Amino acid sequence: LLFYWSLGCWCVLLLLFVSVASAGRDVDSGSNDTGRNPAPEDSHHQTNSTHHKKAFPVLSFNFDHVRKPFEISLWILLALLMKLGFHIIPRVSHVVPESCLLIVVGLLVGGIIKAFDEDAPVQMLDSKFFFLYLLPPIILDAGYFLPMRPFTENLGTILVFAVVGTLWNAFFIGLTMYGVCQIEAVKLGRVDLLSCLLFGSIVSAVDPVAVLAVFEEIHINELLHILVFGESLLNDAVTVVLYHLFTEFSHKGTVTVADAFLGVVSFFVVSLGGILIGAIYGIIGAFTSRFTSHSRVIEPLFVFLYSYMAYLSAEVFHLSGIMSLIACGVVMRPYVEANISHKSYTTIKYFLKMWSSVSETLIFIFLGVSTVAQPHPWNWTFVVVTVVVCFVSRVLGVVSLTYIINKFRIVKLTKKDQFIVAYGGLRGAIAFSLGFLLPDNEMKQLFLTAIITVIFYTVFVQGMTIRPLVELLAVKKKKESKGSINEEIHTQFLDHLLTGIEDICGHYGHHHWKDKLNRFNKAYVKKWLITGERSTEPQLISFYNKMEMKQAMMLVESGSAAKLPTIMTPVSMQNIQPKEPLKRRAIPSISKSREQEIRKMLRGNLQKTRQRLRSYSRHDLMVDPFEEDVSEVRLRKQRVEMERRVSSNSAANKQSQPWISKQQLGKDNNIP
Amino acid sequence: MGSRASTLLREEEIEEIKKETGFSHSQITRLYSRFTSLDKGENGTLSREDFQRIPELAINPLGDRIINAFFPEGEDQVNFRGFMRTLAHFRPIEDNEKNKNSSASEPLNSRTNKLLFAFRLYDLDRDDKISRDELLQVLRMMVGVNISDEQLGSIADRTIQEADTNGDNSISFNEFIKVPPVDGEQDY
Repeated sequence: LLFYWSLGCWCVLLLLFVSVASAGRDVDSGSNDTGRNPAPEDSHHQTNSTHHKKAFPVLSFNFDHVRKPFEISLWILLALLMKLGFHIIPRVSHVVPESCLLIVVGLLVGGIIKAFDEDAPVQMLDSKFFFLYLLPPIILDAGYFLPMRPFTENLGTILVFAVVGTLWNAFFIGLTMYGVCQIEAVKLGRVDLLSCLLFGSIVSAVDPVAVLAVFEEIHINELLHILVFGESLLNDAVTVVLYHLFTEFSHKGTVTVADAFLGVVSFFVVSLGGILIGAIYGIIGAFTSRFTSHSRVIEPLFVFLYSYMAYLSAEVFHLSGIMSLIACGVVMRPYVEANISHKSYTTIKYFLKMWSSVSETLIFIFLGVSTVAQPHPWNWTFVVVTVVVCFVSRVLGVVSLTYIINKFRIVKLTKKDQFIVAYGGLRGAIAFSLGFLLPDNEMKQLFLTAIITVIFYTVFVQGMTIRPLVELLAVKKKKESKGSINEEIHTQFLDHLLTGIEDICGHYGHHHWKDKLNRFNKAYVKKWLITGERSTEPQLISFYNKMEMKQAMMLVESGSAAKLPTIMTPVSMQNIQPKEPLKRRAIPSISKSREQEIRKMLRGNLQKTRQRLRSYSRHDLMVDPFEEDVSEVRLRKQRVEMERRVSSNSAANKQSQPWISKQQLGKDNNIP
Repeated sequence: MGSRASTLLREEEIEEIKKETGFSHSQITRLYSRFTSLDKGENGTLSREDFQRIPELAINPLGDRIINAFFPEGEDQVNFRGFMRTLAHFRPIEDNEKNKNSSASEPLNSRTNKLLFAFRLYDLDRDDKISRDELLQVLRMMVGVNISDEQLGSIADRTIQEADTNGDNSISFNEFIKVPPVDGEQDY
């Protein structure tokens, strides 16, 4: 523990050195820097001074060369060390969500840097940097692993919250602030309506990064999680439109009805266009992945790059980049996962989680640092009223919308649900960055201050108190159920059943359309986008394979590996991929029943997608509900059961299954 | 309660159906018009062929079984009352009607009854247990023809193994209920 803290301090010191050195260089270039550095650099900095004798520099110091990457790496390292540190101190991380701690760290670091040198470039959260580099990984991670079933089931609700709710928030906040500014006592009469509306639109959007960071740790049930999270993703379109709309209007000065109408049209263009671009890239990506069997190592890159291109292309046209990214991930995922190798899948998953984790950490730290960098004109009334109004408008919006929505929902939203949805409306870095992009006028700093205050309030106060509130209100937690084949069959069965009933009633409901989509998918799309025989593999079978694979791996990891046979017959060899992490231990011959049982388990081929991704934690990759829940005792019991059944089955089928694509196996063997 | 020759729906019949199934007036009339549109023979009852004429049902893997569920034991025709009674299983549960139904001990569309309906679709021989063979049949219907019997067999084995708590190598209704509920509520 001490080690980590000292390492962290070391990093901070190095950061200071760097910033100080950079400031120093600006002030007096070409002079000797040794007088300033606290780090053990023991050489002289030779630039173009001719006074010193020109001995051959055994050890020279050339920092400029690596300055930028050095700084970036230091920042990232600092962020990661902090993250590590928090998890090592158990008490703190239970009370305070990580995002708060990171912001505090950012504040501290920013404060220290500022204290050393007033002019140090502490404005880290440059908007371009944020939108182009920090935000996409998080959104891609969220979109790629978006649990589709709850999302589509609640799509209507989510859309209503995202669109109508955000609009309501924006206008309510904007108009209220305008009203407040009109009051004489506040001395802010110079703020015009459009600026206020612009401010309202910036501060009204629920932020996916903050929501993810906080909700991850409280493990509430799937429905609420997907509601708040889905809303935070989809409201990007609204935010983009409103932001551009009001910016344009402030420039022009007058607003006509035609402009307002165009605004509405542009909303549809932005959202649908974003989704379309994302879908196109997704399909291209899926199509590409069909041919990557020759070069497996670059498969993950395709996924990342196509998604990133989708984001950038959408941003080019001022469409909603977030929606494009999500659409790309969602469209691409089922096909890509059927095509790529197991290793590539793991790579994609871990890279995404890694990048998004780093991004998120950096965002929060930079948020803290940037706060220190701004001059903050503080106007009590404005800021406090903003915070209060945000909260009030959110509550009002959620309550009234739920009232309307509940008329159309089967599973109604209770008061508790509504409270959590309202309380979970956190603002975050997107609001800050958008605010930063505002044109430089006198109000900008004030707005930024207010935005930062709102962000801090929601993240700190609401973020910290939501966990005890969830406990207090006894909100339903996430069901920690591992995927079971039973559930999958049950679900599919019910789907078919309900579709059938719907058809009898002549009612074109949810199930009907889903069924049609599935059929279309199976008949046309899968043929194009999935290689070989996998294109005809029914979902149930793929699911079953994944489960068997998982179980086999788990058996190995749980230490029962000693009992597993390794190389039995040539037949079983074909089914075992040589590179799989099964330990090869020489074991004397084993009974046929065991062998069959093992072969059955390993029949699963390559794919390891989680169809039912019930619980995934972005911060802790190894926590897997499947791996957690099943204790070794249960495993043994299961194995015994299976053995019993196997031995009671008469047919001893030694043939390898026809649908295992041998060519796929063969190709995988070529991975270095 | 016999089949009616007339194709018009009378008020008192609507009332009776409403009481028995809990559907609202408008829902009943709507379903009645659907019933009549399916009833090509115009004799006030539906036969199996009428159901099979629905195109989507023909490609539904469970289509035949669902159709069978409408017809009571051994009969080939179902009238509107029977039609409604079966559909009533899928009416969404409303909060305000928890105790309104005095005739039945449990409303027709309670969760248990819905699951019982689904269970009966699996359990063809009505022995209150889903045996491995019955499960295999359903799996075969859902999965298509490309998968080998052995593969399906192992899936069925695993399914039974997961759900079976009393070790009789089949799934009883109680074990069936315990599978975590995916919301199987029909949005009418």
